[in-house]
This record gives sequence, structure tokens and C-alpha cells, in this order.
Amino acid sequence: MSAFSNPKSVAVALAVSLCGLVSAVHAQDIKIGYNADQSASGTAELGTAGRWAFEAAIEDLNKAGGILGRKVVGIIRDDLGAPPKSIQIMNELIDNEKVDAVVGSANSGNALAWLHIPQQKKVPVMVSIATATEITRRYAKEPQNYLFRVSMVDREQVALLVAYAVKASKGQKIAILADSTGYGQGGARDATEVLALHNVKPVLVEKYGPKDTDMTSQLTKIREAGADTVIIYGIADGSGHVLRSMEKIDYLPTTLGTWGNLSSLLPRIAGSKLAEHLILAASTTEDSNAKAKALGERVRKNFPTLTTFACSAQTYDSVMLLAAAMKLANSTDGEKVAAALEQVSGVQGVIKTYDKPFSKTDHEGLGVADFYLARWKGSSVVRYQDAITRSITPADLKR
Amino acid sequence: MKGRAHLLGVAVVALAIAAAPFVTGNGFYLKVLFLIGVNYLAAAGLNVLVGHTGQKSLGHAGLFAVGAYTTALLTTRLGWNPWLAFVAAGVMAGLFGVLIALPALRVKGPALAMVTIGFGIVVEKVVSEWQDVFAGQQGIYGVLSPSWGGRAFGDREWVWFVGVLGLATHLMIRSLLRGKYGRAFMAVNTAEVAAESVGIGVYRSKVLAFVISAVTCGLAGALIAQQNQYISSDFITFNLSIFFLLIVLFGGSSVYGPLLGAIVLTLLDAFLARWPHVQHFTYGALLLFALYAMPNGLAGWIAGLSRRLFPALAKPAAVPPPDGAWRLRGAEILAAERPLLAARGLFKAYGGVVPTNNVDMELKTGHIHSLIGPNGAGKTTLLNILSGIVPPDRGSIEFNGTDIVGLAPNRIARLGLGRTFQNLKLFADMTVLDNVQVGLHRQMATGFLSALLGLPAAARAERHAAAEAAQILDFLGLGDKAHERAGSLPYGLQRRVELARALATHPRLLLLDEPAAGLNPQETRELVDVIAKIRDLGITVLLIEHHMDLVMAISDHVIVLDYGEKIAEGRPAEIQRDPRVIAAYLGADDPDPDAGDTRAPDAHIASATTHG
Amino acid sequence: MVAILQAVFSGLALGGIYALVALGFNITHSTTKTLNFGQGELLAAGTVIAVSGVMLLAGKGMHGTLDPQDVTLWRYAVSLLISVVVLGLLGVLLYYTAVRPFIGLGGLSWVMSTLGFGIIIQNTALAIWGPSAMVIPSPLGDNVIRIGGAGVLPQEILVVAASVVVMLCLDTVMRKTKIGKAVRAVAHNKNAATLMGINVPAVVVLAFAISSSLAGLAGLLIAPITTASVFMGLSIALKAFSAAIVGGLNNARGCMLGGFLLGLVESMVGLWHAELREISIFMLIILVLVLKPEGLLGTRVAEKV
Repeated sequence: MSAFSNPKSVAVALAVSLCGLVSAVHAQDIKIGYNADQSASGTAELGTAGRWAFEAAIEDLNKAGGILGRKVVGIIRDDLGAPPKSIQIMNELIDNEKVDAVVGSANSGNALAWLHIPQQKKVPVMVSIATATEITRRYAKEPQNYLFRVSMVDREQVALLVAYAVKASKGQKIAILADSTGYGQGGARDATEVLALHNVKPVLVEKYGPKDTDMTSQLTKIREAGADTVIIYGIADGSGHVLRSMEKIDYLPTTLGTWGNLSSLLPRIAGSKLAEHLILAASTTEDSNAKAKALGERVRKNFPTLTTFACSAQTYDSVMLLAAAMKLANSTDGEKVAAALEQVSGVQGVIKTYDKPFSKTDHEGLGVADFYLARWKGSSVVRYQDAITRSITPADLKR
Repeated sequence: MKGRAHLLGVAVVALAIAAAPFVTGNGFYLKVLFLIGVNYLAAAGLNVLVGHTGQKSLGHAGLFAVGAYTTALLTTRLGWNPWLAFVAAGVMAGLFGVLIALPALRVKGPALAMVTIGFGIVVEKVVSEWQDVFAGQQGIYGVLSPSWGGRAFGDREWVWFVGVLGLATHLMIRSLLRGKYGRAFMAVNTAEVAAESVGIGVYRSKVLAFVISAVTCGLAGALIAQQNQYISSDFITFNLSIFFLLIVLFGGSSVYGPLLGAIVLTLLDAFLARWPHVQHFTYGALLLFALYAMPNGLAGWIAGLSRRLFPALAKPAAVPPPDGAWRLRGAEILAAERPLLAARGLFKAYGGVVPTNNVDMELKTGHIHSLIGPNGAGKTTLLNILSGIVPPDRGSIEFNGTDIVGLAPNRIARLGLGRTFQNLKLFADMTVLDNVQVGLHRQMATGFLSALLGLPAAARAERHAAAEAAQILDFLGLGDKAHERAGSLPYGLQRRVELARALATHPRLLLLDEPAAGLNPQETRELVDVIAKIRDLGITVLLIEHHMDLVMAISDHVIVLDYGEKIAEGRPAEIQRDPRVIAAYLGADDPDPDAGDTRAPDAHIASATTHG
Repeated sequence: MVAILQAVFSGLALGGIYALVALGFNITHSTTKTLNFGQGELLAAGTVIAVSGVMLLAGKGMHGTLDPQDVTLWRYAVSLLISVVVLGLLGVLLYYTAVRPFIGLGGLSWVMSTLGFGIIIQNTALAIWGPSAMVIPSPLGDNVIRIGGAGVLPQEILVVAASVVVMLCLDTVMRKTKIGKAVRAVAHNKNAATLMGINVPAVVVLAFAISSSLAGLAGLLIAPITTASVFMGLSIALKAFSAAIVGGLNNARGCMLGGFLLGLVESMVGLWHAELREISIFMLIILVLVLKPEGLLGTRVAEKV
């Protein structure tokens, strides 16, 4: 046995020799990492939708001659929806692959687990899917915050949903039903806080497990609390089951949901009739404009079951914003690119043209002004309008 | 020789760890080294539980969580010093180790797996649902990492820190496993009843193993939380429990197993990350086939290979020839004038079957007593009652002045009552010498800390125990078999080894359950001499035997059981003439060979309660 | 009151699923003293196979979406049959690759090898079907039926009815037919069974085939209520395992009882505090095991000393 009592040195040797293997890419290339779940959990769908758009964006950049005359290389990693893995990948991308920027994380929990790494190593990150409000705020007071986002921020979509709920509910009887994940609970907290800005206290806050299929007991309690408006904070499959449980106990209050319900899982689970009942916050859909349509088709070539196009659009735009910042900074230095991101303007994206999307204090590329209320009609999402939506003024969008 | 090679190896590893951060400045590689250390730490303790004590646990992610959240909460909420919080994580995890061990003591097999899975899931759910305290998936941010000289740990310091911890853990666990505690764990793993019979507290050993694994696992959790400055409920998954277990099983149960397993699996995890499917398949294939190809893990496979390539290395150290004959240091006889053991009105029933029906018996100090009777007469049940394995429904037993009814078998063994088993219960994978040293467990005064830290006192006690074991083997004529695997010996010698193990407990009273079963006539004759020699040492003997010539040749006193009742007792010559005894034995000449089986509930005991 | 009735209905449906899978654990454990720790992955694989079967029969291709009118009773039944057969075969494969080499080796070998088999199955399924959840409408439609004010989905009734029928059939087969008696003989004493001329290896293979098939059946029954995905199995299998342990792993009726009990406890606790369901279930299991290690209807196994 004694011959094998020093394997740790073997490991070092092995690690050192592997080091030679990995760094075979040209030093001239600009590297952008993509770190999101693509295989292991429900969010894998979102991560995969983003992944193919990421590749499409890089292809487009290279077709246009790259950035600063250098080729752009995308380095794609799958974090399996697990924070430890996501952290490890972030280390690998930054320390080993020496990427110039990172796009990613589909799960808010995973992003929250590694935020400190790019911040400390000064690598700009574009969060293109995860929505937790805290992601861009944790380091907002640092001299330079390296975390940017182009996604439906929880706080921003909550502002819209609450503005509608407060007007729709008679007697301000609003309940919140959120899934128990970090996403749902963060959103529930945002919703409670925004309601407070309207001087409304939710009559009840309930939660359900992300894999639950029967929410009748929570809904019964909500009904008993007298709520006539319910805000559901969860992704499509959970909301679908909530709607089904509502039908089961014959209780159909005004129901509002998040951006996650853009997934076609919602009408498939709840059926098209029930799905119509849910009013949701949306940023972009495949039929928004010609660019969106084209991107949707490109992604679908690799990922035929695409249901969350918004993730594709946001990821594509994230890459474009990074490219614009690198051009503006005329450098790939993390510090300079992060500063440039706060200056870029007139960047053509799929969702919109970004005119000064970021500032020193605001790192959200999309805001409540970019969102609208929508609902499912058959197999597509259409803008939703009624007397209440028309009466919402910018002053109502408290956040 | 072996010890020096080991020290050299440790020094090389220590140097490698110290130098690694200077060889590579790549933060990712340092992080991988750190993770190897963390995984090793968790697996090293788990190996004591799984590999050595034989307890399945599929819930160690729960203990990892206890450590991680202890440091996280203490440093962020209560502002504790990170070093203190790190220590507290180990302590807290140890306490939870006791908690998970308690139900685990009652159950075995799949039910034990279930209890540990349940524990893991309960912890996972508590940290994800009780968000006011544990912050669920949002996680706790800002966990403080220890600092040195006013500077918080960086990548390099973490590698050093985990390296120091890993080396210390290795040295301590190696020292522990090579001594009496390691043997006790293995004994519990192979044959719990036998372990109890030599005075090893099976419950205590299991709790100890659970606590050791809990502490290292908790420290691993604390390291992850502190290094990453963040912990959330997503870190705590069933898969993490499986991963720890995989390291242990893939690596093998040798002390080097967890290290090999941690290195290979952490590297796989880190460098296959770009091909997640390949990574998953690799895990699946490893789980499925590694045990098939390498039943003793990577370490076992390498050890086997090196034995084949360098047979010289595998040669065991020679046992020093025993100096002087073995002498008994048994418990003091409290009242020489009274019987050594007196049982009154012993009664035991399994439903309608009554294997022990109001039996009274007295065993005189220094005599050889025999217990005979037809198959199914209740002899073994009586032995099990006397040695504490089966609690009697009624009756009293006084042994050397102490009432022993209701005492655990290991307590009774410690009072000076040793035994052997009808169906051999040797620790088959241990050497003959180790088997006897297990018997010496209670004779060694070594404390846990002393064994863990490998203090000189512990080493001295080990040397004494080895020397005494050699004396005992010599006493029974097994001197040349010391380094053979007990399970590989011929049957007759295995019986002799079991006798040696029982003698090593320094018993006042020795219960022998059919010591001549399976022996050839030559061996049986030798046995008569051996039993006489044992009596000459001052040990009282009670034996169950079917070889009547053996019984009649050496017994001072014979007790006859039939259908659970004592039908006769007295000197051998009187018994041979007793008409009731003759009738009982003629009745036993039943033409139906199965009759014995159906009447033999004494050979069965309910396993779940007595040694679960 | 209505709420309690509602909880009873969904508890029974869940319980039926747990009971079916638990029964599968009982069959292999009683014949080989092993059970498949990768049962959840087999269950999920069987379910996605069946959902694809319905899609193909409805002419929607592998990655289509199913509308309610696509799922007719006969398509559902045919796909069910396909998935039960495929899973039966997988069960046989499982036995030969992951169980037989390790029987009698003691320790954790078979636990780990069956886990490994499950991981490989899951990844194969992931490569074919991807991570997305697949929706399959119920063949009986989604119109809520009202019983005493509580709403019940037709599929929930189907789940309970089908699982009870399958369990009754299996129970009768085990007690009345020659094959059943052979299985029970093997469970009781392998050597004696061999001496009696029973083909023990065949019985053991059959046990694994039945066990896996039951998991596949359970998966397709629950899919219209929950959706199908390659990740759906773990929590069902864990709870079914708990049910088997609580009811008594070596007693078939105990496993069924345990399944329904667990389903009811789960939905009742959900009524009170949804987030405490898992915690209270597993606490309860630990408690039951401490008080009665062999399970509610289980028998103690004697050990020779």
C-alpha cells in the first residue's frame, strides 16, 4: 500500500498536465462563456432556449467580422441546475478558460451562488434568464458592479402585475400563491413589498412545491380568506396545475402570473380554456417582429421543442450588448467593458433597440416599460387589454 | 518498514500540497484541489461507517448541511469568529450524528437505508422550507471564511487549510482503524453477536462510527460554505449523499480508498463538465460496473495488483515468538463458596413453543459442566439466555455475585462470561491474530482520544495486545496460523480460533456451544485435552455437546434438557444410568429427520430487537 | 369538510401509485432480498415511452404536442401495453447486469449497481426525450366530476380503480395460481423450491420483469395528472420505497396498505401545511421504523445464532 500513499501529488501532476490540454485555443480570440442548466431540471428548457440563441449571436458576430477584428468563441457549459456545479463552472470559465465575459444562469439560485466570483475577478456577466431581483443589486454599491441583466426582473414584472391587481380587486383582497423555489419565494417577497407601496397587505401568502400537482388545499385557504384576485409566482407547469386545481374547487378569481407562463406548457397542462384565464406579464414573443421570428426559427432548428422564446431573445440581446460594449471600450478588459456597458446606446436587439439600457445605478436592460400584459389564446400569446389595463398610468407602476 | 514508508508518503503529500499553489496560479486548478480535499474529508469519515462498520447511509448530505449551515448562521447572524464557527460545525454535526444513529441502531438493511434517506430528506426540506432561518433556495450570503494574519483565505490558503485537515484526518483515522476501535468496527460489521460476546458494545460502536462520519462530513460542509461564502438549500440533495457513498465504494475501504476515490471522482466531475452526458454515463457506469470489476474498490484493486507484482512487499511482519506462557487475569471471584452461576426458574416461550421451561441450574467454580439433550431440547436457547442474547421471560441469573438478567451481552461478557457459537461466528476476513486481538478488546485500556491521536500509550497497548494474542494462539497450538485469514482455515481450526477469541476475553466462565461439531476424531481427542487445559487455568466451563464419549470423559457435572425442561443432572455415571435420560434419547431417535428442525426454535432468535 | 373529502380523493390517487410501485419492491425483495434503487428512473422511462407511443399512434411524431382528442382510450391502452412490455424487458436486463452479479455479496453492491443502472437509463432517456415535461391529456377527458362538493378528475378515478384491480389480480395470482405459488415458494426458501422442481432463476427474472412493469404502469397512470418527464421518477420511487418499508417490505398486502396510507397522510398534511408534507412523512417513517422495524404488516426475520 505504501507505494500509493502519495496520490495527491499524482493529482497535481495530472491537473498540471491537463492544463496544457485545455488552453489550446488562440489567445487572440475573444471568449464568452455560457453557463446554464441545459439538461438536468425544469429550467433546462430555458437554458437550452438561451444556448442556441447564444450560438446564433456568436455566429452573427463572426459573420460581421467579429469584435475588434477578433474572432468570437463561445464556451458553453451545463451547470445541471446545481449551484455547486455552477460555481465550479464559473471558476473554470474565468480562471481556466480566461473568458472575457459570461452570459447565463437559468436558475436564480445558481446565479446567487456565484455572484461574488465574477465580481471579485472583474469579469462582466450578462444574466439573460434568471430573474431574482437581488442578482444585480447585491453589488450595486460597489465602485463597479459587474452584474448586468437582460431579463424579466422579478421586481419589474411584479410592479406591472400589482398595478393591475390593485385596480382589479374590489376591497383590495389580493392573495399571493408562490412556488417554494428561490424564484417563487423571491417573487412573493417582491410582490408583498410592492403591494405595501400601494398600502395593500395581501390577505394570504401561500406556497406550493415546484413539482406539486394538487394545490386545492392552498386555494381553499385563499378562498376562505376572501381573496378575489390571486398573483401566482411560479413557472408554467406550476401555474398550469394551480389553474386546474382552481377548476377542481370551482373557484376562479382574477389570476395573474409571471413571464414564466409564456411557455406553451401552460396551455398544454391547463387546457386552452383554463389557460386563457391567466393574465401574465410578457416581454417578447416570437411574433413580436421579423427579427424575433427569424431567431425563433434558427433556434427551433436545433431545439424543436422550444417553448420559451423569450429566453432566446434575451440571450441573443445579451451577447449583442456585450459586443457593443467591447467595441465601445475598444478592449476586452473586464473593468473597461463593464464601464462601457453603462454607456452603450443604440444597440439593435431582437426585443428592442437598447438606448442607454444601463447606468451606474441601474443594471437592468429591460424594465417595466418594456413589459405588457398578455394571455394565451389558443396556441399563441396575445396582448391583453381591458378597461383596467388602459387605466394604468406610469404613476401606478410603483416599484 | 511499513510505518517508515507511510511517513515518507505523508511527507511527500504534505510537500506536494504546500508546493501546489506555487506550481500553478490557476485558480480553477486550486479550486479542484480544494474540492478533492473536501470530498476526501467527507469520504474518509464515511468510510469508517460504511466500509468498516458496515452501516449503509444514503443521507449524509443532511450532515453536510448541518455543518454548512452551522458556520453560515453563526458567522452571518451571530457574528461568530469563523474559526470558532468552523469548529462548532464539527461539533454540531457530531451531535446530529448521534441523532441519526439512534433510529439506525434499531434497523438494518433496506430499512436502515430508508431511515438515512429520510434523515437526508428531512434536513433538505427543513433548510429549503424554513426560510426565516435558513433562507431556502435564496441562500445565506456573506458566510465568513477564516483568516490568517488578518487576511481572509484566498485560493492558495484554502488548499493549504484543506490539505492540513486532510492529512490530520488521514493520520487520525489510520491510527484509529489500526487499533482496537478499528477491529471493533470490523467485528460489528461481520458478526454483531460475536462482537457483543467479546465485550464490544455494538450500539456504542455504531454510534461512534456515525459520529466520526458526521463530524468529517459536517466539516466538509463548513469548508464549502466558508470557501464559497454562500450556502443554499440547493446544495443539499440526495445526489450529494450518493456522491459521497460512490467515493467510498469506488475508492475501497482501505484508508487510502477515500483518497483515491475523491481524486478520481472530483477530477471526473471537474474535467467532464463540458460533456454533461458523458459525465452522467460515467457515474452510472462506475456505479454499475466498478464494484463488479473491483469488488474492493480502486484501493483494493491496486493493493491486489501490487501484491501480485511485488510479493515481497505483501509479506506480513513476523510475529515475535511469545515470551512466556499465557496467564489468566480474569475477574475476581467474589464469593468462592457460592456457585459461580446460579439460575432460578428461567422461562422463555415463543408463542406456544417453550424452549426453556422453569430451568434451575448451578455451576460450580472450576468444574466442567455439560448440557446435553436431544435436538430441540432448548440447549442453545439456554446458552443464549445465560449470555444475554435472549432475554428470559421470567427467572433470575446470578453470575459471580451480580444479577445479569436484562444486561446487554457485552456487559455480561465484561463480567467474565465468554462463549463460542454453534454456527461459527468468526470475523472471517480478519487474520487469526486480529480475531484474537478483538477478544482482547476489553483488556486494552486505550481511550478513544489516545487511539485517535496515536499516542505512545496506545501504541504500547497495541504491542502488548499483539504479544498476548500470540501467547494465546501458542496456548491453543495455533502459533503458526497467526497471519492467515480466519475464514480460509479448515473448519476444525476455525473452531479453535473462536475458542482463542473467547479465551482472550479472560473469562471466568466459558460457554462452549457444540465445540466438537464437525471435528474429526483426532481433533475431537485434542479438544478434550484443550478443555482440560482451560479448566486448569481456573476457568469454569459449560459445554453443549452431542459427542457423549467426550461429555462423559471430561465433565464433572451433566445437565440434561428435554422439551425445555431439566429432566436430570448429576455426575456423568449417574446420568448414563438415568431411565428418563435414556427415554428422551430413544425418543430422539425419530425416523423423521425434520422433526429436529421443527422443534428447534432455540436456534432462532428474533434479530430485530436484540442486535439490530 | 369538502376540503377533507378533496384531500381524501387526491390522497387515494397518489396512494394507488405508491402502492403499485411499492408492490414492485416487495416482489423482487421477497424473491432475491434485493430491490431496484433505480426504480424511479425506470418508471420515468416507461412513462415517456408510453407518451411517445400515444404521439406516434396519433400521428404526431416524437416531439409533437398532444391535444385531448389525440388521446383515445385504445391508444392509451396500446401504449400502456408497449411500455409495460419494454419495461419488463428492462427489468430482465437490470437483473442480469446489476443484480445477479451482486446477489449474496452483501454490503451495498446491489444498491449502488441498481442506482447506476437507473442513472444510465435516465441519461439515455434524456438524450432521446430531452429535459422538457411532456403533457398527456387524460383519455377520459378533463371534466371535473363533483362528489359531495369535492372535485375529482376522471383520471384520478382511473388511477385508483386500475391500481386496485391490478393489485387484486396480482394478489389472486400469487395465492391461487401455480406461478404465484412458485414465486412464493422461491421467496420462502430457494433451495427447497429448487428441490421441488421449480425453475428458480426463471421465477426471479419474472419477479424483476413484473416489478419494472408495475413501475411503468404507475408512471403512465399518473402522467395525465402530473405530466411526464425523465425526472418524474425519483420522488415517486422514494415515497413508494417508504410505503413498502412502512407497510412491511416482505408483505405484499403491507406494501399496498403502506402506499395508500402514505398517499392519504401526504394529502392530509398538505391540507394543513403544504410545505410540511415531506418533512412529516419522513419523520413519520422514521418513527414507525423505530417502533416497529419490520413494518406494520411485516414479519420478523429470524437469524440463526
